[in-house]
Amino acid sequence: MKWGMVIDLQKCTGCGECVAACKRENNVAVVEPKESAMGRTMLWMDMLTIFEGDYPRLRVRQIPRPCMHCDHPPCTKVCPVRATYINEEGIVTQIYPQCIGCRYCMAACPYTVKSFNWYKPEWTPGIRDTVNPDVSVRPVGVVEKCTFCVHRRQKAKEQAKSEAREPRENDYQPACAEGCPTGAIVFGDIENSGHRVNHLAHSPRATRLLEDLGTEPKVIYLKEVD
Amino acid sequence: MSKKTIEGLQIVSISLIWVLFTGIAIWVFNLIKVSLELHDAPDASVAISIVAILIFLVLASVLTYVFIGLRKGRNEDKET
Amino acid sequence: MDDLSARPHPDAPLLRPIERPARNFYLIVGILLAIILYTGFVYLRQILFGLGVTGMAQPVTWGFYIINFVFFIGISHAGTLISAILRLSKAEWRRPITRMAEVITAIVLAIGGLHPIIDLGRPDRMSHLFFNGRLQSPLLWDITSITAYFTASTVYLYIPLIPDIAILRDRGVKPRWLYEFLSWGWQGTERQHKVLDRAMNILMVIVIPIAISVHTIISYIFAMTVQPGWHSTIFGPYFVVGAIFSGIAAILVLMIVFRKIFRLEGYLKHVHFNYLSILLLIMSLLWFYFTFSEYLTGYYGHEPNEMRVFWYKFTGDFAPYFWTMIFCNFFLPVLLLCNRKTRTIPGILIASISVIIGMWLERLIIVVPSLANPRLPYPTGIYIPTHTEWMLFIGGISVFVLGYMIFARFFPVISIWEIEEGRKESAKIVTERISSYMPDIKPTSAGE
Repeated sequence: MKWGMVIDLQKCTGCGECVAACKRENNVAVVEPKESAMGRTMLWMDMLTIFEGDYPRLRVRQIPRPCMHCDHPPCTKVCPVRATYINEEGIVTQIYPQCIGCRYCMAACPYTVKSFNWYKPEWTPGIRDTVNPDVSVRPVGVVEKCTFCVHRRQKAKEQAKSEAREPRENDYQPACAEGCPTGAIVFGDIENSGHRVNHLAHSPRATRLLEDLGTEPKVIYLKEVD
Repeated sequence: MSKKTIEGLQIVSISLIWVLFTGIAIWVFNLIKVSLELHDAPDASVAISIVAILIFLVLASVLTYVFIGLRKGRNEDKET
Repeated sequence: MDDLSARPHPDAPLLRPIERPARNFYLIVGILLAIILYTGFVYLRQILFGLGVTGMAQPVTWGFYIINFVFFIGISHAGTLISAILRLSKAEWRRPITRMAEVITAIVLAIGGLHPIIDLGRPDRMSHLFFNGRLQSPLLWDITSITAYFTASTVYLYIPLIPDIAILRDRGVKPRWLYEFLSWGWQGTERQHKVLDRAMNILMVIVIPIAISVHTIISYIFAMTVQPGWHSTIFGPYFVVGAIFSGIAAILVLMIVFRKIFRLEGYLKHVHFNYLSILLLIMSLLWFYFTFSEYLTGYYGHEPNEMRVFWYKFTGDFAPYFWTMIFCNFFLPVLLLCNRKTRTIPGILIASISVIIGMWLERLIIVVPSLANPRLPYPTGIYIPTHTEWMLFIGGISVFVLGYMIFARFFPVISIWEIEEGRKESAKIVTERISSYMPDIKPTSAGE
């Protein structure tokens, strides 16, 4: 069982719903404007904007970028305390109470997906009521990143067990996949031929980011056709 | 301070380096055990860690050698 | 009571700072303690509020603390080169220098070794490194090697210090109990000398590979990632060369300072500065060779991510720092030290300070540009260090100066017994050695 994601760039409109859904679901802190201008915005799912070419052949591409959940993660190799590790189902997870905040994994990740809690995260009184109780709130000084909403995996597993059945494809979907209005983000078990990602991953349009580094990311992008 | 107190302090001071050595040896063996349990350390790291313990052993031994050697050399002088 | 310390000693200038410390001493110690206390408050603020008080952000998540970590540990290579290598090669001119060099190493290693802790987001969780550390992380290798080096250099500082402590003990210098305790019963007998010699011989051999491993492993923190500008096989030797380079510059500065304030012109003579500054010159050329190789191979390969970091350093935001570094590390020292006329004490002082600044800039240029230019299309990172980071830097330097001053207050900065040994035996040893180089006398031909 290996969890992977396929993002169809032809279907993606760059609306940013995945970015917002992820922040809501995972209690990702909102930082002050001054901090954000410095580069301390915390985005587990980021929307990359790439400008290609010159006018009149200018092209703007919007690429949602979650954590790649590499099969050979450069970040887990360098963590001195095993606060980040890859589990048996292929998800690169974080153990927040273990992290000592050395930020070596942040420096080592070639995709720059990790965020750091530079200050203690705070929520305004109204938003505080909407935090997701399933996801732990991180303290100051630890690193965090996209976890493919692994808490939903836990929930789906327990739900299926209590109903004495096998988990279905739609039982476990991360917030970004669930929220995407065009269905550009598809998530599932890439080793299970019954899941859509398994087929899409082998599409002729399939490509990965920074493939030549040998990190074997499990987020696959389907190139645009026009 | 009496001579006895000073001698006592000196013996405590030399035993400190053996405390350090034991601490480091325990720590490194613990790390090796953890890495074997998790199956994630290349053999090179384990080998180098063992070399590290040997280095501390050599340092502690040299210091102890000097300590004992100086005490022995001193008694000889008193006899003459 | 007979004031033993009033007895004249042939090396009185070396004993004077201990037996009769200057009045300025306490004033300067007071100022340094004030700076260090303030630095402590600044650090406390960082612990209370988090690393947000620094200038680090994504993507430049490492800044001053890691730069200074590498910088301070780099300077620690001073002691190893001078003490160990010069002792090993039996260079007689090392005698007044070895003690100062060894003290630099011990103090600066302690300061440098603490810097990764200052950099941690959760220093309260440091024990995780000890209970659940992972051997495959270069940071763990670092902890081991720095601890090993610190232990080795402290032992290597202490053992040759014993006879000098005995001299102070015999002269009744206060506090008597301290020197009694530390001298371990030294009486200068022949057996004791043999023990000391043997111990020093073993240590000076093993301290060299330990020292080389320390800075190599520090370079592995960067080289073991795949980031452009860091993932280079030359990093190990490059860092070691840079460390020895900055270490020699640090010793030279300290020698000049102590020569002035303790009036040691009789001990630290022009010949010592001449030899060390030629070593500095050689290291400058060697450093330039490594830097040149590093950038030429990057440029020739023209890999896009490498080139972005390359241009960022050569013509981009970091260009002023980069070219200042090249000037400070290569052009200025080579110009000053090549020429005998400028290889004077003021010239050497300028060259050494220039190298220290240049080597700090080199650490800046290694750490920040690779982080500021991530592979994916993000805006280029900006790093502006804050008051907290500057204060911790100044605090680190103050701790170094204070530590050195306290050492110089209680122990001689020049090895008295080795100078005495040199006076008595050097000439004989060297004459014997040189005559062993000379060709044997030809046997007379049979039919003469």
